[in-house]
Amino acid sequence: MTDPANDPVLDATRSALDGPGASPADDAAGHPSALLHVNDVRKVYGSGHTEVVAVSDATMAVDEGEFVALLGPSGSGKTTLISIIGGLLAPSSGRVTVGDVDVTAMNKKELTAFRAERVGFVFQSANLVPFLTARENLLFVSSLVKGISRTQANERADQLLSELGLSARAKNLPEQLSGGERQRVAIGRALMNDPDLVLVDEPTAALDTAMGRQVVELLRREIKARGKTGIMVTHDLRMVEYTDRVFEILDGHLTHVEQPSAIGH
Amino acid sequence: MGLAGTEMRRAKLRFGLLTGAVSLLVFLVLLLTTLSNALVSSLVGALEGLQTDGVVYADSARDNIVASRLPAETTQEVAAVPGVARTAGIGTFTSNAELAGELTEVQVFGYEASGPGAPSGLDSGRLPEAPGEAAVDGGGVAIGDTVSLEPGGTELTVVGTVRGAQFNALPTAYVLLDTYAAAVEAANPGLPFVPINAVAFDVSEGEDPAAVAAAVTDSVDGVTGYSLDEAVALIPGIASISQSFGILVGLTFVIGIVVIGFFFLILTVQKMKAFTLLRAIGTSTARLAGSVALQITAVVLIASAIALVLTLLAVQGLNTGIPVSLEPSLVIGTIVAVLVFSLAAGLLSIRRIARIDPATAVGAR
Repeated sequence: MTDPANDPVLDATRSALDGPGASPADDAAGHPSALLHVNDVRKVYGSGHTEVVAVSDATMAVDEGEFVALLGPSGSGKTTLISIIGGLLAPSSGRVTVGDVDVTAMNKKELTAFRAERVGFVFQSANLVPFLTARENLLFVSSLVKGISRTQANERADQLLSELGLSARAKNLPEQLSGGERQRVAIGRALMNDPDLVLVDEPTAALDTAMGRQVVELLRREIKARGKTGIMVTHDLRMVEYTDRVFEILDGHLTHVEQPSAIGH
Repeated sequence: MGLAGTEMRRAKLRFGLLTGAVSLLVFLVLLLTTLSNALVSSLVGALEGLQTDGVVYADSARDNIVASRLPAETTQEVAAVPGVARTAGIGTFTSNAELAGELTEVQVFGYEASGPGAPSGLDSGRLPEAPGEAAVDGGGVAIGDTVSLEPGGTELTVVGTVRGAQFNALPTAYVLLDTYAAAVEAANPGLPFVPINAVAFDVSEGEDPAAVAAAVTDSVDGVTGYSLDEAVALIPGIASISQSFGILVGLTFVIGIVVIGFFFLILTVQKMKAFTLLRAIGTSTARLAGSVALQITAVVLIASAIALVLTLLAVQGLNTGIPVSLEPSLVIGTIVAVLVFSLAAGLLSIRRIARIDPATAVGAR
């Protein structure tokens, strides 16, 4: 059996650091009209001798309609960075803008509304509300946004479930669904409110390779079909081929921006 | 249906058990309070219900109307005290009587129809207007029945029934003072004079009954004046009975509220993962707190309805020897208090929700 640490396909740290891609800061300069701008974002936990720098001066830009990967090993800071981008976590310094909105200038209440209206999340775990059916999980998020009628919400939920191949499972509770089906429901929920950004955290962590590929392929298809901007956090090199670009992160530093074809193959 | 309702519908067993437990606690509070009120009312209802501002006893009575003996002239002496508007004599004694085919003790209260000291709580019929007539609380008598007092053989015709007007938990008959005097004489032949037990007095407009009662004590030899509230509170043993029941009801209430608070805190802790996810995808703390508050309200209201039915059945089925009835004001007051304090206890859960860090949904902490 291959040791994952010695397998270039499975070990995100191996090829990622050796790539010839541009630095994310230089790359960002070439994308002045990008939807997402991350400028010199730093996140520090603790203080003094217990200080831990989770993200160090990260700068990146992602265009509207792009589906990119944030690739790095465990503890590299990718989850912290995506949390800051999604308004779940405040940076210690730096700035994040989505369109014309400065996410880092928002208060807690504004961030809650921002997450409901402009961001769709697909988490690795704790992904669905356990006492709501697949359809209700989608409908619930529409209730967080003003201006969506019940009829509109019902139609959109049914359409998404159909596209995701889940029409027959609409009335099932999460515990009655397989891991792949749960992730597909989460993708539907993330797209339900027609967000600007779709942030995906390790979507294949609990899935086998075939199921993981299916889920990420579906994710790409749905994001591209709707012209959304997606960022997928992953440590799995096999999944980056479905993305447009790959941002590599190690020890809190964004190191390179690569084409997927240049990664690990 | 919102988040709260959907969850309750999906977790019927969990919320059913919770509702069952809360309903038993509310039932216990309602029943204890009802019994406590019934017991106190059966002991002091007669005095509590007298239509008077205050009463006067003999000094030697030591705050007990039954032990008090006053000559009838005391009524005029009390009437002469500044601040007193009207006075009337009250007489009372315990007698044997056959009620509903059973020989039992009866407390007889005599009052003057034209003065203060008439009973309240007329349930049916009318109050006595002529000699030999009585209005009775308890004993299973009905209008038209005849009550024969023994010894003495005085016969009373029941013309009305009253509620909440018993004394010492005995069936109580209200008669005019002349009827009372005739009954006492019949039972005690050769008595030199028929004493009264108390003087009831009404105060002039704007006067304080307690102050006038103190003035009576100072002005009239050998008597002590009381406002009606003081007289009721000083009935021997009543304070300790009220206090004991108060502690029992209070403890049951507090335990019930703490249990409800803990139940919902446990539910909240169990759902912390789901709450964190909901916060992460943009659900406000207020909405989640509202969902918990809604569930508490629903559980308490359903539980209260069940508790009310249980209490009604218990009140009907109980044979306590004293008249027990469920007061609507008590039911509403108890349910509102349980709801308000349960919501306050729910703040433990809401505080927990408010402290959720949505970033933990992605493990970024």
